[in-house]
This record gives sequence, structure tokens and C-alpha cells, in this order.
Amino acid sequence: MYGGGNVFESMKATALAEEDPIKLAEFEARIDRGEKIEPSDWMPQLYRKQLIRMIEQHGHSEIIGALPEGTWITRAPGFKRKLALMAKVQDEVGHAQLLYSAAETLGKPREQQLEDLISGKSKYSNIFNYPAFTWADSCFISWLVDAGAIVNQIANSKGSYGPYCRALERICAEESFHLKYGHHCVIHLATGTKTQREMMQAAVNRWWAPMMHFFGPSDKISVHSEILMRWKVKMASNDECRQQFLDMYVPKIWELGLTIPDENLMKNEATGEWEFSEPDWEEFKRVINGDGPCNKERIAVRRMAEERGRWVRQALLAPKAKYVTPLA
Amino acid sequence: MLKSLDPRVNRLAIPDDFEAPMAAKEQLDQFETYQSFTQTKEGKPFEHAGTVHAPNEEMAFLFAKEQFSRRGTFCYALCVVKTELILVSEFTDNGQDVYDTFKGNYSGDTSQSFEVFHLLKRGKNHKHIGTVEAKNFEDALLASKETYPRDKPVFNVWIAKSEDILMSDEEDADIWNTLKEKKYRDAMDYKAADRIKAFKAEQG
Repeated sequence: MYGGGNVFESMKATALAEEDPIKLAEFEARIDRGEKIEPSDWMPQLYRKQLIRMIEQHGHSEIIGALPEGTWITRAPGFKRKLALMAKVQDEVGHAQLLYSAAETLGKPREQQLEDLISGKSKYSNIFNYPAFTWADSCFISWLVDAGAIVNQIANSKGSYGPYCRALERICAEESFHLKYGHHCVIHLATGTKTQREMMQAAVNRWWAPMMHFFGPSDKISVHSEILMRWKVKMASNDECRQQFLDMYVPKIWELGLTIPDENLMKNEATGEWEFSEPDWEEFKRVINGDGPCNKERIAVRRMAEERGRWVRQALLAPKAKYVTPLA
Repeated sequence: MLKSLDPRVNRLAIPDDFEAPMAAKEQLDQFETYQSFTQTKEGKPFEHAGTVHAPNEEMAFLFAKEQFSRRGTFCYALCVVKTELILVSEFTDNGQDVYDTFKGNYSGDTSQSFEVFHLLKRGKNHKHIGTVEAKNFEDALLASKETYPRDKPVFNVWIAKSEDILMSDEEDADIWNTLKEKKYRDAMDYKAADRIKAFKAEQG
């Protein structure tokens, strides 16, 4: 699962001027023909850098996203829910492996990616810096955060980089189970006893603001370049993804008798667009820069796993082993 | 100590000053990579599934099984091969067949057996196309060029020695069977339309 609001590298106006114009033209022609770029093809430095960053952030989000849900495995209500949640968390961690491999084909080894996550150099989806207080929070994540991620991932799976597309194809197939499972959980709470309904509503109230942040800042204030769209690195704008999410899921939330904590939320029938209160982008920035309720814990847990797993990696080291970049 | 809502995190007893820089990792704190191929149905060609990192071939096979066969419908057989043992050809595009760039003639030598994988569309997976016999990797490319008639261009070829591939055993077919019972991993198992309908009816 992963949201928009990618933190792209700032781009210098001269970056493209330094590229070989003939190779650049061939590269762009290939994308225009609808052919995918494969790892050993020539590509502009900027394309490589932004893709590594995007795929890596996606991979980290899968790993960190497994933490708030993983919390609830042992306390999920009943055997079946425990099994399903365990399977889902296993999927998410598997997705991270697929994504790390895709980023590796661009030249950044997996160990380097893991280190950059732990040192705070790389980002992950901001929504996982919030805690899952109750079982209903876990249900909200499984249904709606995954739904948001799917909107994003389906858009990205039509991008131009072959290995990322292949990883996303596999990921999207598995996400359909997550989405159905999450919806099932929310339906059962929302149509259950008064206490269950209240618990579900409280979760919606807590998670709505982070959910609106999930797709990233509005296109009006977001600095992503037209060139990333042209190269099919970014396939849909933050606002487009947010609109699509609202269109697909607000009616489904309402039909369960749940309310959404934004009195300005409504579909403008004339424009077909959803209107809503402007999310608090200062809060978004504050949390993404480290000052959220769980930032410290998330990184500490990852780092602890890395440190305490050291002896296992040591035991498995093969002196003659040679790291080779994945092929596809 | 770091306080968390998660009892498992509290049990880790993470000290508050845990932010001190981590000791540098050793160079080889990075496993080798293996390419995995799966067969989704009996008789269908093996297709590239993805990469796993592992300290040896057996563990690569186990990791690949976890990663690429979590759902019964996805896997019938599996094989892995160390990435560095695969020969990768150039990539072509725009309708150009990569085989046209291979010059020379196949030696006819049948001393070693090689598996050939083709990329038929950029962005898709490499597919196993067959086995050829030749004296070395380059010769295997030429053997493949001669052996397999192509009505569509091939954009990239992978070649691996048959002996370097670790393949699931037909006798061990049972290892895939348990998956069929895991319906809770399938979207199909989560139907709740009736519950919504009943809820709506109750609300009037």
C-alpha cells in the first residue's frame, strides 16, 4: 500500500541539457510508442533518480505499513480474522521485496535502501506515522488505506519502467484480497452492535485527515514537473487520485451509516468533482518531517530488527558470495 | 524506554537514546540474488516471476516459494537460478528482433544443455521457450536462433545452463497442495452484500 505525495528530488533546469540529445530523443520516442523501458536501456539520470526514489519509497511504505496492522494480529477478533490479517501483513512485506528488487535494477542495492530507511534519509507513506488505537483502526487501514493505495498503484502500473510495472501487476492482484477483506471487516463493525458502530465511527473520524493527506498536496501547491508525466514516471496527479478515491469510496462509507468528519464534503453535480475542506498541509509537512505521533517508533522498530538480526546475517555470510543486480 | 500502543514494541524494550548512528554494515551484508521462474499450470511454459535474495540455492528456492506461490492459482512448479549464471543479451525495441544482431553459425556441438528464455514484449515477463544443446553460452544463442522459428520479434534473450537450475520435483507436488485450502487469502471469500442489504432494509 502506498500513497501519492511522493517526495521527488528537486530538479535543476540544466539537468537535461547535460544529457546526450540523440539518446534522449530515442528514449522519449520509445516511451511515446508505448514501449516500456528495461533496466539496461539508456535513460536520463533524472529519470533513474526519480524512479529509484519513488519505487524505494513505495517499498518502505509496505514495510512500515505492516507495523500498525501487525499490531492487531494477536488481538484480531477470532481465528479467521487473525489468519486473514496475518496473510495480509505477509503480502505487504512480500510487496516490499518485489519493490526493492525493482529499484535495485536501477542501481541501488537493497541493503542501501534498508539503510536509508533506518537513517531517515528515505521517506515512506506519511499515513503510517499515525497509531492504530483500536481494532477498527486496523479495519480502516485494511479497507480504505489499501483502497487509496490501489488507486495509486493501478495508475503507476501503466508507467514506463518495465520492472516497476511487473512488480505492480503482481501487487495489484494480491491487493484485491486486502480490499475485500478490509471492506468485510468494516461492514461487520458498522452493521453490528451500537458499541461496534461507535468504534468504527471513531476510527473514521481519526483517520479521515491522514487519508486526505495520503494522496499528497494539491496540484496547485505540489511541485512535480511536467517532465515526470511526459516520461510516464508519474501517471496521475495527486488531485486526480484523491478525486477518484472519493468517487469510489465515499458512497460506500455512507451506505454503512457512517459519517465523514468534513461538513464541506460533497459532490458538485455540475462539475462532477468532489468538494472538501482544504486539508491541513502544514500538519502534513510537520509529520512527514519527523514530528508525527509514531515516526520515532516506526524507525526504531525497523532498526531494532536490523540490529538484532545481525547475528543471523553474520551466520549466513558466504565469503565468496558476490552481489549481482537483479535482472528484471 | 520507548512507549508504544503495541505490546510487542514495548517488549522490545527500545532505549530512548536509540537514535545514535548505527554501526556501519559489512560489505557482504547483502545476499546474492537469484531469479525465480514459475509455471502456473501443467504444460504451460515457465515464466519469470522475480528476484529473491538468499545465501544459497536451497534458501533461494524456499524464499521464492513464499514469495511467488502464496496463492494456489499462481504456482504449479518453480525453479531458481543464480543471477550471475544467466547470460543476458542486448535489448532491442521497435519491432527489431534481437536474434538479427547475433552473427555467426551454430557449431552443432551438443556437449552442454542450456535453457532459453525470451522477452516477447517489453514490460512483460521472460518466458521459457525451450532447451538447446551447444558448446557455450554464445553458441547456445546461435543454436536457439536456428532452432526456434520466430513469427514475432524477440527483444531480449536469457540463457542459463540447465545444470545450474534448481527445479521443484514432480514427486514433491504436495508442497503446492496445501494452498488450495487457504480460501481466506482470496477476495472471493469475503462476500458481504447480503449483510449490507439487510442493514439498509433495517434502516428503512
